[in-house]
This record gives sequence, structure tokens and C-alpha cells, in this order.
Amino acid sequence: MTNHWIDIKNADAILIMGSNAAEHHPISFKWVLDAKSRGAVVMHVDPKFSRTSARSNFHVPLRSGTDIAFLGGMINHIIENKKYFEEYLVNYTNASFLVGDAFGFEEGLFTGYDPKTRKYDQTKWAFQLDENKIPKKDPSLGNPRCVFQLMKKHYSRYTPDKVSNITGVSQENLLKVYEAYAATGAPNKAGTILYALGWTHHTVGVQNIRSAAILQFLLGNIGIAGGGINALRGEPNVQGSTDHTLLYHLVPGYMAMPVADWQTLADYHKANTPVSNDPQSANWWQNKPKYFNSLLKAWFGENATKENDFGYGMLPKVEKGEDYSYLFLFDRMYRGELKGGFIFGLNPTNSVPNSNKVRKALDNLDWLVTVDVHNTETTDNWHRPGIDPKTIKTEVFLLPSAHRLEKDGTVTNSGRWQTWHNAAVKPPGDARTFGDMVVDLMNLVRKKYEKQPGTYADPILKIDWPAKYDAEEMAKRINGFFTVDIKVADKEYKKGQLVPSFAVLADDGSTSSLNWLYTGSYTEAEGNKSKRRDPTQTPMQAKIGLYPNWAWCWPVNRRILYNRASVNLDGQPYNPDKTVIQWQDGKWVGDVPDGGWPPLATGKGKSPFIMTVHGFGQLYGPGRMEGPFPEHYEPVETPVKNHPFSKQLRNPCYKSVSSDMDILAAPGDPKYPIVLTTYSVTEHWCGGGETRNLPNLLEAEPQLYVEMSPELAKEKGIKNGDGVIVESARGKVEAIAMVTVRMRPLKIQGKIIHEIGMPFCFGWTTPGCGDSTNRLTPSVGDPNTSIPEYKACLVNIKKADKLTEIS
Amino acid sequence: MPKSFLIDTSRCTACRGCQIACKEWHELPANKTKQRGSHQNPPDLNPFNYKLVRFSESLENGKISWYFFPDQCRHCIEPPCKGEAEGYLEGAIIKDDKTGAVLFTELTAKLSPENCEAVRAACPYDIPRRNEQTGLLTKCTMCIDRVSNGMLPACVKVCPTGAMNFGERADMLELAQKRLAEAKKTFPKATLADADNVSTIYLLIDEPKKYQPHAVAGLSGDLSRKQFLARIFGPLKRPLQRTASV
Amino acid sequence: MQLKRRDFMKVTGAGIACLSLSHLGFDLRPVQAYAAQLKFEGAKEVISVCPFCAVGCHIIAHVKDGQLVNTEGDPDYPINQGALCAKGAAMLSLTRNPHRVVKPLYRAPNSDKWEEKDWDWMLERIATRVKDSRDQNLKTTNDKGQRVNRLDQVFTLGTSHMDNEECALVHQAMRALGVVHMDHQARI
Repeated sequence: MTNHWIDIKNADAILIMGSNAAEHHPISFKWVLDAKSRGAVVMHVDPKFSRTSARSNFHVPLRSGTDIAFLGGMINHIIENKKYFEEYLVNYTNASFLVGDAFGFEEGLFTGYDPKTRKYDQTKWAFQLDENKIPKKDPSLGNPRCVFQLMKKHYSRYTPDKVSNITGVSQENLLKVYEAYAATGAPNKAGTILYALGWTHHTVGVQNIRSAAILQFLLGNIGIAGGGINALRGEPNVQGSTDHTLLYHLVPGYMAMPVADWQTLADYHKANTPVSNDPQSANWWQNKPKYFNSLLKAWFGENATKENDFGYGMLPKVEKGEDYSYLFLFDRMYRGELKGGFIFGLNPTNSVPNSNKVRKALDNLDWLVTVDVHNTETTDNWHRPGIDPKTIKTEVFLLPSAHRLEKDGTVTNSGRWQTWHNAAVKPPGDARTFGDMVVDLMNLVRKKYEKQPGTYADPILKIDWPAKYDAEEMAKRINGFFTVDIKVADKEYKKGQLVPSFAVLADDGSTSSLNWLYTGSYTEAEGNKSKRRDPTQTPMQAKIGLYPNWAWCWPVNRRILYNRASVNLDGQPYNPDKTVIQWQDGKWVGDVPDGGWPPLATGKGKSPFIMTVHGFGQLYGPGRMEGPFPEHYEPVETPVKNHPFSKQLRNPCYKSVSSDMDILAAPGDPKYPIVLTTYSVTEHWCGGGETRNLPNLLEAEPQLYVEMSPELAKEKGIKNGDGVIVESARGKVEAIAMVTVRMRPLKIQGKIIHEIGMPFCFGWTTPGCGDSTNRLTPSVGDPNTSIPEYKACLVNIKKADKLTEIS
Repeated sequence: MPKSFLIDTSRCTACRGCQIACKEWHELPANKTKQRGSHQNPPDLNPFNYKLVRFSESLENGKISWYFFPDQCRHCIEPPCKGEAEGYLEGAIIKDDKTGAVLFTELTAKLSPENCEAVRAACPYDIPRRNEQTGLLTKCTMCIDRVSNGMLPACVKVCPTGAMNFGERADMLELAQKRLAEAKKTFPKATLADADNVSTIYLLIDEPKKYQPHAVAGLSGDLSRKQFLARIFGPLKRPLQRTASV
Repeated sequence: MQLKRRDFMKVTGAGIACLSLSHLGFDLRPVQAYAAQLKFEGAKEVISVCPFCAVGCHIIAHVKDGQLVNTEGDPDYPINQGALCAKGAAMLSLTRNPHRVVKPLYRAPNSDKWEEKDWDWMLERIATRVKDSRDQNLKTTNDKGQRVNRLDQVFTLGTSHMDNEECALVHQAMRALGVVHMDHQARI
């Protein structure tokens, strides 16, 4: 989230799209309804009428996978009706930037597409630069090559009739949302967009969110109280585990994973450190070498020296462009290319698409270490239904782990607040924390390498690794230390002292930090700030519920990101009733500003979007794989054979794997005429491994169901409560029919298209509850993130003669 | 000072925090349930669910409505269940005048199954359920242990949205009127269900029958609502001091 | 004899001495006696965080004699202010759950059962597996002759259930081993 949970209350309009906030983040509705009771309009745009819709001012159903068409129509509406906030647009976004002559767009494709590699040459999308390599601008926004004009032209194609035709949303409903939301373009109005997996789980996931960013920029809604782009993150510490990066393509703190072409530290920094010659651009990532070198210093300790590139050479290097994420990982496992591995607190045999393939793939491993609080479909995959365990060669370990109330440590909520939790009780039996087991295991491996070196022991022996796990000590390592006695800006620090802020992290090995974003969370002066429970606020802060003294928030305790976009060039708030920051008597008050520079009007200021090279919000985003403007493409499995915007049916760059088990239905395939979308339920968490073992929650949601309209049920001869079989090109799933008026048939291109929805939290280890819905979903993903398309695929449905999975 | 609940269904998201919190506080065992084509589970109140969120949906003139009703004992001002039970066994059902809580005691185990059925039949909201194993009659306790210690009932404490409210009856009635006035702006049919007769007041945004058959007293009977209320809650009109029972 | 409801609408002042709600674990002599009967009376309050979605609601755990006796939403935490959803409300039974795995379990190749093992045995065996896999498979240079130090054959998945401190350690350990097949809930 750019903003945070409490801040939702400050919104005048709330667009919930790609999210079912009331069901999956129930406490968010405390703040949504707070806003609503003070006059905010709450809109839910989603295929299904859910508990969120029930409490919204209105619900608008659309077909899964058509969000960009819907949002593109809204961008068009805002531009055509001049509802945008022009001053904000000119001063803070790249609307005025001139785009190079090579950029073009035709029939759904931007210039530079190579159909053989299915990739774009992104250099074709570059800005026109002046002699200092600063983008040329036209603040009048009139130049036909400026971003604003190109965007206007691009989205002029998204007319209400075309949008309605492909989304299934009536023009009347389109306008209802467009008008209500566009009203937040007024300088003193705030609109927030709450999204979740309903936007990311698509082959156009990133561009769904880009569309929302464009809207928010047009309306001046980023950086302000009650605004922002707010990803409602779904798992317990998914924000923290992303920051600390349990992901292949990054290292902690959102820095790139080294690739083979960057053989030296200098290569790495050259490739990854952006340069701007614009004195008005903070270009914050120019500091990346300080953060990266401090990370290496934290990883390798005394063994990281200037002479050895701080240990950079010891790191693994991935192949450029190679994908090591789930879809590809399990594909390689299926092909027998992987030998063994670890699965910590995750249930991929339920939660990864095409789970029949995932289950088979695991059979190919020599060894598998699973770590969990319960037996799950993953830990027990070797004796799944229909399999003779004697045929499965895998050596399987199941390590019992501690649960939240049984350990100390920090987690980071979706609003980036880092909060400490305390162990209340001991773990049951022999269960241990992840930290305990990982530290001990690694120490054992290190001992083995000491005794018998084996292959390239250096990185294993040279890491700075604790003897025992201690959450408090790790929290300090994450914050970082000075590694030498040093004087920084007249202040002396001793070796071993905690670094007070990332502003003093250095690239010369004098500082260490396991994550620069968290530097400042644990200081000599204030101790462990994640433990702070001080509700004190200034009256200005209290007005918007900022709580700056409660816990700590990355970065530098800034609660609302890009907050300098909430003020005009003189540093005065656009909405004085809900001030985030304000320039008063030569300093900023309110939230922690995005850098302490004076207002832009002084001539000494910096543009507010400090994480972009040029400092401006990116209406035009030349870094994305499939183009600088979001464009509607159909899901990979789509019920239509064409759409009204171009001849390019699907995302030209979507990711996929191919095997005998990766079968896709053709567009408009008559065998699979129904759209399936999948989701969580309030009462279960993710794949359900934990919550199905909680009798009280299982009682409330006991078995797999499929929600469908009465019209479809009638067509298929299905009654409410009947057992049914849902089938895709990849698998079959049993479920109980939930026939409900909350699912509406949609009229698409003049024809009725039915959509059904199923949760994915049920699995065979809980007797009689049903089994993985993801046996239906395809292994295709977004080209930027490789996030799979769980939210739209094709199926058929029929009444079951008998049920074997549900009883 | 007697207490009351205000259950504002215009703010309920059916997160079922209340349903689960009730079970957890009372440490009630789970029922084996099945999916029957509804999110409402268990399907009905039972000895192990004193609180149940009921779901009802409709499609009228193209508009979908989905109503949530966190069902529980109304803790009637003049509880018919208590009157019924006293005919069989004094003290099986009591009313705590301090809080207004209507409580089923362990003496209910001495009531025959038929007596229990009669007590249930006497309840205009169909709340009491008999535990077949122990013979006890069961229902919401108003978390009398928590309330006596100055805490909110578990279902109120847990509620994120202000759907569940609890406090002094006078305060709740005032809040009810305020919320009703607010709700009426959007939902002209909004009402307070049997507010004069019960300590669990529901704010409904549509006709009671759209929620569930026992949303208000007498919905499914032959008598008019007015007649019905007069009949079962007649004693309410007596002076308050005469109702003292503890 | 079946009596009509109206016959029982009389107000009673009958005593309630000797009544109890023992099925609820409470005494009713008198109702005020509940004051001393709260099940977490005298318990220690410990602040924790709900382990489900990333709203991160705060929870107070009541601990008595080392045992968890109750959990409640933390009323002071500004975000949830004491509230919880269905999952958060179930924290007591989540933690005190009879289905928890409480011993390290081992399933030998081609075996049809789990066996209980102790931690030392398990970690020793896993460490051997890790070292053998790494020694046999670590790719020090790629086809272009570039130094890559990569262990393509071993993967790690999960978990967003880890604390920040644990995530930092897992990342550090896995990169030291050369693991690049690494993913977790953030991508699904």
C-alpha cells in the first residue's frame, strides 16, 4: 500500500476492484465503512456479488479479465470530460514528457515487437532527451508526442459501447462508476483504489495495476490522505517476506539478483544504478551501491572486503531472462531436473495452478524437506489418493514449526508497519521456530564443509552466520551496524553501533544492513521501534489517523508514500482539511516527507516521485514488458475469439510452460464455454492447510462449492446443493453447487457468457471436504511478474452422478 | 442498569467474527457440517452455536440484496421462555435484572425433552436448543461473566464494523434511533425490530421477513404482529419494580 | 399437562439460590459472583499479531501457568481496535490445536508411513542431503564460461508465515548454498 489501513477512512470515493475486501481483509471494512458513514461512495466492481458488494453503495459485475477495458474506459472518460487535476498532472507526472519518434502503436501491438522471441525492444519507447539527457517536456500538454496526448489517443478507443460490449457491464453502470470516481479529480477530494489478487492473478496483472496508477495520477490521488494505490496484501507477513525477498529475482530491499553478465561488483552497479542529470530529480536509486554493499557486508561480515568486492563473487548468478518462479520451477521438477528442496509453510499442491502436475512433479524429487504446523496436501503428497506410496522414491522430512503466538519477531503489515509480536506460550511438543531450525541446519552444513570441503565451500564458510537464532539480534542485523569507528557529518559512531538511518549507509564497507528499507527501525537512541505503542499524534496527524509513534513503518517511518505530491509547489496542502505534510516556518510538519528538501517553488526542491529516475509519476511506463500503456488483452483461456480493441487477442508476451500436462483450451472453445474464477474465503487461509484443521472454521465453511447463477444451473439441470463436476482442459474437480442470484450471466458481444467461482482452500487431507480447485487452472502468467492467471480460465460443468471427493 | 445489544445489520459484513468468537469464548465444540448450497453454516442454531450469522439473498427488479442476520437470544424484557420454564421448574431459566440477561441454568437439564420443546415453542425467536447429551437448554449467555467484569460480550468486542454494539439500554436505544435515522436515508423500510420488548435490538434495512422467519416476533403466526406482541409481551406494561426477580 | 404460554407470564420473585451454570464453568451465586470467575483472571497478557492476512491485527494472548487460556483483539492497537474476523477470533483453537504436528516426522523412500525421529537425526540427515546435492550439482561456471556458483537442482519455497528476521536468514542461507529456485506466497 502507498497508504495504510486507517487512511482508507480519509477517502471520498473508494473503488474496490480486483478485491473482495470485506471477505478477505475483514478489518479493512472497519475503515471503509468509517469513510462511508462520513459520505464516501463505496463501489465494488467484481464478477461476483459478495459480502463486499453487500455493504458498498453499488456493485457492478464484470467479466473476469476485462479490468483494463473497464479502466481504460474510465481514463477516456476523465480525459474527455476534463475531470483530471491538471496542475498535479503537469507538475508531478510525466504527462508533459515527449516520447521519441520510434514509439508507435498499431493493432494491439506497440513498436518493437519480435513475434519469434515474443518480446519487445523497449528502446523504441524511449523519451526524447535534451542535451543533458533530461527528457524534453511540453507543460502545455499540447504537443502530439507528449505523454498526455499519446495517452489521450490511446484511450480514445475505449468508448463506452466497446467497453460495455467486452466487459459485460452496462453503459449505465460504467458511467455510474466513472462519474463517481472521476469526481475525486477535484484538488480537495480523495479517491482510493483497493485491489488484491483479483488484479494480480492475470496474464495482464501488472497492467491492471498500471491502469489504476494512471487513474490516480490523472485525478491527483497519489501521495494524499485517502488516496493511493493500495494492494491489500493477503498473507500474514507477505509484505515483510517480499521486502526481505523470498523471491528468486531480487535480493532484500528490492535490488536485482545478480545475473551472469554482471561478473564484478562494478558490473552490477553499472547495470543497476540509474543516472539523472536533472538537478530537480532526487533519483533515489542512485544510492543503490550503498545499500547493496551494506547488504554484502551484512552477509559476509569480516569476509567482505573492498578487495574481494565485499564477497560479490561468491553469490550465485542467474541467467539473464531466465525464470525461476513457481511455474518454471515445477515444470523443471516435472521434467526431473530438480533433486530436492525445502517447502516452508506453503501448500503448493493446492495453491499452484495445474496442481495435478505439481503433485506429480514432487514425485520426481530425491528428497523434500517440508516445514509446517499441520500435515497438508504437500507434506503428505506421497500417499495422495490413487497413489501407491511404495512407488514414490522421495525421502520426505516434516519438521514441526511454531505458530505466531509461540515466537518473538516482527511482521510487516500491508501498510508497511513493522510490528513486534511476543511469544505467549512455548511451541507444542518438539515444534520449533523457522529461525531455530534454519540457523541450526546451516550451522550443521557449515560444520560438514569445514570437515570435508566439497564443492566451492567459500560462500558457506564465509557468511556471517549466528550461532543461535535470536529474533532481537536479527532485528538489529536487519537495521545494520557501523563496522568501523567513523565520523559522519560531525557525529562520531563506534564500530558495532546501530546505524541510525539509511542516509548514513555507505558503499565503502563501513556499514552493514540486511535490508536498507528497515534501517532506522532499531536504533541506539530509541531501541526496537517495532515495539512502540505510543498513540500520541499532533492535531494535524490525528485528523488523518497517522499514528507516527505507533510501531515503525518503512521507509523512515513515512506513513504515506509520495506525500510531497499532496502539496502545491509552495508546500501547501491541496486539501487543508486532510493535510499529510505542510511547509511551515522553513520546515515540513505532519508525516515524514519524501526527502526534506524545501518546496519546489524555492528552486531547491526535488520532484516528489523520488524512486523514479526523473522524479515524475509514470503515466507512461516504458519499463513494462508488454508496453508503456495498458492495453486490453483477453485472458489466455478466453470465451471470445476477438475483442473490439485490436486483432491482438491475448497479451503478446504472456508466460507459459509446455508439457504433456499443460493443455490449454482454444479461444471460444465450445467444450469449455464457461469462465471460472477462483478465490479465497473469509474462514480459511490460502490453501487451507491450517484453517481446515480448525474445527470451528471448518464448521463455518466445510466443503468445496461452486457459485453459479440460477440461469446457468437451469441450463445444466443443476439444483442448489447438488454435487457437480467442473472440468477444464487440465483436470476435473468435484464441488457442491451453490446456486445464487449473486452470480449474474453477462452479455458479451451480444451473447450470454456464464461465469462461475470456486474457492481453492479445500484439499484431500481433510476427509470429505473436496480437493484442489487448482487442478483446473492453467500454468500461464504475467510477463513481468510470472504471477499465474488464477482468476480466469475456461471450464464446463455438469451434475455429478456420484461424488468421491466430497462426503 | 439493564444492558442491551444493538445489532445494526446495515453495517454487518458477515465476517462471522462474532459467530466464531462466541464459540471460542465458550469453548464450544464444532459440529460436523456440510455444504448445502449456502454460506450459512451451521444451518441453524444448535447447542454448540449460541450465535449464528444467517444469510438471505434476493434479486428484485435487477437489484441484488444480500442480508446478514447475526442471530442470537433477544434477552426479552419479559422472557416467555422463563415464564414457560417456571411452569415446570423454578429457576431453570432466570433473568438477571442488573444486566437484563436471560440465563438458562443447569436446572434446565431436569426439564424433560417435551418441556424443553415447549420452552423453545414459547420463544418468539426460536432460540433455545436442547443439548441431547447433557439435557441442558442452551443459548446466548450475554457473556454474563465478561459483562459482570465490565467487559463487552465476545461477539461485540470482536466486531470490526460497529454492527454489534452493547451497553446501557438507554444508550443503545439512543444509538438505535440515530442509526435508524441514518439508515432510513438509504433504506426507507429500515426498522428496529421489537425494540421495546427485547434487549437485543436489530436494526433491519428491509422488511423483517427478508432476513429470516424469526427476525421479529410473530412473523410466521396467524395473529397480526400487533396482536402477537401484545400477547406475548403483555407483562411488559406492568411497573418495572414488579418484574424484579433477583 | 400442556399449559398455555400466557399461564406462565407471571412475574416471579423465586429465589435462585444453589443454581449454577456449571456447563459453562460459571457459578451463579449470585450473578455478581462472576466478577471473580473470568477464565483469564490472573493471566499474563502477551501482545501478538494475528497470523493471517496482512492487516496484521493485534491480539492479546492470556497465559496462565504457561498455558494459553484466551485470546482477544488488542483494543489499543489503532488499526483493529480490539476487533477480529472469523479467523483471528479462532486464535485460541488455532494454537491449542490437537491436529498440530508436534514431532519431526520422516518418511523413508518408498515407505508407506511416517516415523517419528528426533531433531538431531533429522537435521543431520537433511544437512547430508543438502551437502551431497550441492557437491554433486553446483554449477560454478555457465556455458559462456562465466562464474555463476549456482545450485539449479535445489529449490526453496515459502513462506509468508516467516517473521522478517527469519526471511532474512533464509535468503542469506539459500544464496550461500547457491539456490536460485526460490519463491513464496507473494507470487501466488
